[in-house]
Amino acid sequence: MEVRQKTWKALSALLCYPSAELKEAAPEIAAILAAEGVISPAAQVALKPLLRDLQKSDLYDLQERYVLLFDRSRTLSLNLFEHVHGESRDRGPAMVDLLETYRAGGFDLVSTELPDHLPILLEYLSTRPIADAREMLADAGHILAALAERLQRRDSCYAAVFAALVEFADVPEDAELVQDLLRVKEDDPEDLAALDSVWEEAEITFGPDPGAGCPVGREMLANMDPVINPPSAATAQN
Amino acid sequence: MSHLLDRLNFLKSTRVGTFADGHGQTTIENRDWEDVYRNRWRHDKIVRSTHGVNCTGSCSWKIYVKSGIVTWETQQTDYPRTRAGMPNHEPRGCARGASYSWYLYSANRVKTPLIRARLLKSYRRMRKNNSPIEAWSKLQSDPILRADYTSTRGKGGFVRAEWDEAVEIIAAANAYTVKTYGPDRVVGFSPIPAMSMVSYASGARYLSLLGGACLSFYDWYCDLPPASPQTWGEQTDVPESADWYNAGFLLLWGSNVPQTRTPDAHFYTEARYRGAKSAVICPDYSEAAKFGDIWLAPKQGTDAAVAMAMGHVILREFHLDRQTPYFSDYARRYTDMPMLVRLDEQDGRLVPGRLLRAADFDDKLGQQNNPEWKTIALDREGGNPVAPNGSIGFRWGEKGKWNLEQKSGDKDVDLRMSLVLEENHDAVVGVDFPYFGGAASETFAKTDHPEILTRNVPVKKLKLADGEAYVATVFDLFCANYGLDRGLGGDFVASDYNQNTPFTPAWAEAITGVPRDRIITVAREFALNAEKTEGKSMVILGAGLNHWYHMDMAYRGIINMLAMCGCIGKSGGGWSHYVGQEKLRPQTGWIPLAFATDWARPPRHMNGTSFFYAHTDQWRYETLKPEEILSPTAPAGDWKDTSLIDLNIRAERMGWLPSVPAFKTNPMEVAKSAKAAGQDIPAYVASQLTSGQLEMSAEDPDAPENWPRNMFVWRSNILGSSGKGHEYFLKHLLGTDHGIQGKDLGEEGQRKPIEAKWHDDAPRGKLDLLVTIDFRMSTTAVYSDIVLPTASWYEKNDLNTSDMHPFIHPLQAAVDPAYDSKSDWEIFKFIAKKFSEMVPGYLGEETDIVALPTLHDSPSELAQDQVRDWKQGECELIPGKTAPAFATVTRDYPNLYKRFTSVGPLMEKVGNGGKGISWDTKTEIAQLKALNGTVAEAGISEGQVRIESDIDAAEVILMLAPETNGEVAVKAWDALGTHTGHDHTHLARAKEDEKIRFRDIAAQPRKIISSPTWSGIESDEVCYNAGYTNVHELIPWRTLSGRQQLYQDHLWMRAFGEGFVTWRPPVDLKTVTDEVNISARNNEPHLVLNFITPHQKWGIHSTYSDNLLMLTLNRGGPVLWISEVDAKKAGIRDNDWVEAYNANGALAARAVVSQRIKEGTLFMYHAQEKIVNTPGSQITGKRAGIHNSVTRVTLKPTHMIGGYAQLSYGFNYYGTVGSNRDEFVILRKMEKVDWMDEPVKTEAAE
Repeated sequence: MEVRQKTWKALSALLCYPSAELKEAAPEIAAILAAEGVISPAAQVALKPLLRDLQKSDLYDLQERYVLLFDRSRTLSLNLFEHVHGESRDRGPAMVDLLETYRAGGFDLVSTELPDHLPILLEYLSTRPIADAREMLADAGHILAALAERLQRRDSCYAAVFAALVEFADVPEDAELVQDLLRVKEDDPEDLAALDSVWEEAEITFGPDPGAGCPVGREMLANMDPVINPPSAATAQN
Repeated sequence: MSHLLDRLNFLKSTRVGTFADGHGQTTIENRDWEDVYRNRWRHDKIVRSTHGVNCTGSCSWKIYVKSGIVTWETQQTDYPRTRAGMPNHEPRGCARGASYSWYLYSANRVKTPLIRARLLKSYRRMRKNNSPIEAWSKLQSDPILRADYTSTRGKGGFVRAEWDEAVEIIAAANAYTVKTYGPDRVVGFSPIPAMSMVSYASGARYLSLLGGACLSFYDWYCDLPPASPQTWGEQTDVPESADWYNAGFLLLWGSNVPQTRTPDAHFYTEARYRGAKSAVICPDYSEAAKFGDIWLAPKQGTDAAVAMAMGHVILREFHLDRQTPYFSDYARRYTDMPMLVRLDEQDGRLVPGRLLRAADFDDKLGQQNNPEWKTIALDREGGNPVAPNGSIGFRWGEKGKWNLEQKSGDKDVDLRMSLVLEENHDAVVGVDFPYFGGAASETFAKTDHPEILTRNVPVKKLKLADGEAYVATVFDLFCANYGLDRGLGGDFVASDYNQNTPFTPAWAEAITGVPRDRIITVAREFALNAEKTEGKSMVILGAGLNHWYHMDMAYRGIINMLAMCGCIGKSGGGWSHYVGQEKLRPQTGWIPLAFATDWARPPRHMNGTSFFYAHTDQWRYETLKPEEILSPTAPAGDWKDTSLIDLNIRAERMGWLPSVPAFKTNPMEVAKSAKAAGQDIPAYVASQLTSGQLEMSAEDPDAPENWPRNMFVWRSNILGSSGKGHEYFLKHLLGTDHGIQGKDLGEEGQRKPIEAKWHDDAPRGKLDLLVTIDFRMSTTAVYSDIVLPTASWYEKNDLNTSDMHPFIHPLQAAVDPAYDSKSDWEIFKFIAKKFSEMVPGYLGEETDIVALPTLHDSPSELAQDQVRDWKQGECELIPGKTAPAFATVTRDYPNLYKRFTSVGPLMEKVGNGGKGISWDTKTEIAQLKALNGTVAEAGISEGQVRIESDIDAAEVILMLAPETNGEVAVKAWDALGTHTGHDHTHLARAKEDEKIRFRDIAAQPRKIISSPTWSGIESDEVCYNAGYTNVHELIPWRTLSGRQQLYQDHLWMRAFGEGFVTWRPPVDLKTVTDEVNISARNNEPHLVLNFITPHQKWGIHSTYSDNLLMLTLNRGGPVLWISEVDAKKAGIRDNDWVEAYNANGALAARAVVSQRIKEGTLFMYHAQEKIVNTPGSQITGKRAGIHNSVTRVTLKPTHMIGGYAQLSYGFNYYGTVGSNRDEFVILRKMEKVDWMDEPVKTEAAE
């Protein structure tokens, strides 16, 4: 029997709503990551600030931050299909497929979260052989890369979780799909011309690939992601 | 390609066969490819539901579910067929509804209860050693802790909460507020019950049992057309859209049918195919404009002038020069035109006064019952004054004569409409009419006519109880008012359309810019069609007209045209006001459930507009003074010393409008004091108010004792959509950052109100707790303290009806509520449960006092035939007569949950009813017991009908309503028959055995059953059309004269110049002042434009407006539409960022430069969400506002009238309205766009 990785369960926990239990478990998470070595030592180091935060910060502040990032910002939604299918019709069938994957793996979904909620996927991966995990994460690689990038721009320590997943899944940085999601240019936000281009409506093309989803909705979502001037290191909080 | 290699030459497979004599062949080949298609459209079940959004569409949809996930929806096509010769209703639906399944799983969905972290932290700290109520009480008594969360509203800072804890806080806050300040400090806002009536009822039932107040919405939204209650005594009753097909002439006036009535627009197309003519009147080249055979584009806000001129033409050509028999006969029978008006002498001149009443005669014309409320006309035979049947005096206190027969008592009469013939009048006298068109703000045209126009009118001299007086018929005054020369000489009348006299077509051309010949053509064709078809001319009108301050003038102008042409109550004709989904068809079945009248009566209601005007402190900034809108012919009074809020205060204390909160003292304390004093409650309250020991809250809205403390918002996005004066809400009600640019009256050194107490320091943050229940993170949710996630429209069971079609159909739970959400019914049930568990020992059975205004459709609508204010010593305070009634209601707080979940005993004891009639409901309750089961648990609800689930609740509505239970319908018609003396039961008899159940409508939408609640009928002969039973069953309109009331004789109507319809230019709200206009000071290019907020194509109000699909069809964020000419003047190009601002606030958006828009106007589609792509404002330095950021409501005194027949209060029926079209803004290009996207800092508002 192949070894299953607790690493995925640990990362799943990190992306859950902060609770007293999670605060307590932070050292254990670090230990598992180190022991299993599924993610690189560099990635483990990068996760330190988040783990430290979880341990040390006030729970209300942690929760407030989490709600702002993951409940309130749709560009950072932990529901993966939000980023590929947006509000298109393909989203329902895609979720059904994922649900069936879980069922095929011998699990029923008991949470009230939707099947494409990333912590659920990660928890599922912790029950799968490592090769499966790599394959599934690679499938979602472009979304994870985009989220890592968006969180990085906000100087959020949560970015490290996504960076670790991206590194593991071996997503090429310049992958076309990532760029698709990250259409926002790193221009000066005060530059009106740049803003105009962000707002420009994409030309709508029909067919020939009906499986391609709804490009327009996805682009608009990417465009909604705010461009932020990186604050100086001293004031970086999130 | 050769088939040689594919073909078997030597072998034949045994697995292939033929059938059908060798014509068919079975083959074996791989068909896996088909699975792609099969799986793509595979589903486990299809469930019927709809979208409970404030849209009249009410379309039934099929929801496809696979593995417990909604995958897509398609339109239902199984509406019952219409009769032969009529097009069918289906398919109904539009792009907005079709995008809903995509909304369901949107990242914008509220997943768990959210609460402001600062509030939760303080609460938990207090809660450690205290009970929930003590914890809340401690938190509220610490001003620093309170301000800590109230001043950061709208600035993020949410954490998730457990349901149990969130509900505990809400229940504790409610209990504390009830005990400390009074139950009427807990209020709730939820609009449009018709779109999901059980969900509305859930919160309303909780509030009603608690003693909290439901705020009205239809008037606040300005969707209520006050002209309808004024004319017909009816809130709104309109033809279904199918009836458009029967029209011969369709006039679309300020209504954009293809854009905002998408599912019904096909009837408009079909009507045109059938041959109907159509004219479209709207200032912009709207989507509807292109469908008109003729398009009239008046300057915005001048529609009343167009209507006046059309009325002038119709009167001239169809009533005077040639008398159309159908029109005259209709006017005589169904309008007040033959009624007599007494002419009052005022400073030696004559003005139209009150309608003459039987009481004005020595012998009261033999009328002993309500002679003050019986209007008088002259009998053609002999010319004697008679009191014809049907006036409102016949409605109460006697039976059988409240009908529209041509009779006075048992005597046949034939009413005389005009005294113009020499032998019929005693004299011709000059009568003064006000003219308001001589003055107008800058951008509107004015004419040189004087403010009083004296016109000649034929009169009769009658001997009355108080001496001789001149009287004239409404018709003769009406013609004089329209400026028609009838050969009686005198000034300001015209015999030629080209004469520039109010209100000729030439005059209208000067005001509106519409060429006179077009006005004449449309008027003539409209009337000609009505003459040929006996009334099949229809006007479809909407918010384009109704949202102006003087909406009544445009509406009454149009209603007059319809009345002159006999179109009301005729299939294919009539008044089609489609603004807001007002038609909750099973209304009388729903009221007991929603307002808990099964347990205690009366419920506590408040008119939304007056409430928000007072409590968001918009009155403190009022720029419009009563004298600016006062008639030059106003009767004596202190009008000029007052402010609008003063008039509203008087209206409240005279019992015209409701009061919430009512008294500065907790009403439960007042009840205790009364008991201690050994006095009857109404008498005690009356004496305390008279002596001044008890104060009415209305007089001091800023005193902390009078603040609303807890507010629930559900099924609504009040801050993001309908909160006129958005920035005032933020500043005063919520106490957070705002963008107000102007100053209040105190800072400006302006005249202050005389009745309202002024505090120099205005309150900031009146609410202790704002709770929003929604499925998406709307603008309102963002500003709330607690957000509860609710089930969406595919996740709950509910009922839905509309005025556009006659069907009732359900919302159903296709899937379980997503994430942590619950249906509204379950949420309020939960709060009720928590509350009941918490309060024993703190609150018990308590006596509450509800200040009840004089209500329409009750005997108290005859309360005040004269205006007298007890506080000014003009009369004694008599509860229910000269003041509100003070009703005693027993609250049973520990049993609130038990009451919530069962049907109370009053249904069997008192029965049910509506609109002035009542019937017994014992049978229905017995049947409900069998259907829903009874409560087994011991206690007050044991043995009562159970209402556990939302379906149980729906069954209560369906069983009790005549519209869905034929047996009740027959009883209801029978009850009405005792008033009218006619048997109307034939209208429902054929359906007596029909009882519509929830499962029936789940199978197919069902047509409702005819009921006296409505003035149209459901039949296989005609489509639903309002006024049908008035005309065909001779049921009076519920007005003073019992006829369509075209003359409004109330004192305040005459004072404010609206006895007869006239032209009134938009009011000047003075929000573009030199001080505010920094663009002028900086010499930068800018425009001052009229700000118009029509309904959009990419959303239903704010719903769907944050949906990515809809956003991609629009421009992806807030936009403003301006004309090419204006854009050029200010150097604005398409897609530029622009800022619109005035004294009320500022908003930022992209410019859409379009030929469609009329110069001088600025369009911003109603309700684009603040949460989507809204940058910072340069002016305010804060996040820019929404469309309502540049608006502020202004009340109209004539809407405050009460206790006077049709002008009496009713919830959402009559009252002040939130108009918003008269607003002007400064528009400029933005130099700098700041997205304000730094991490949120939640410091307090300054």
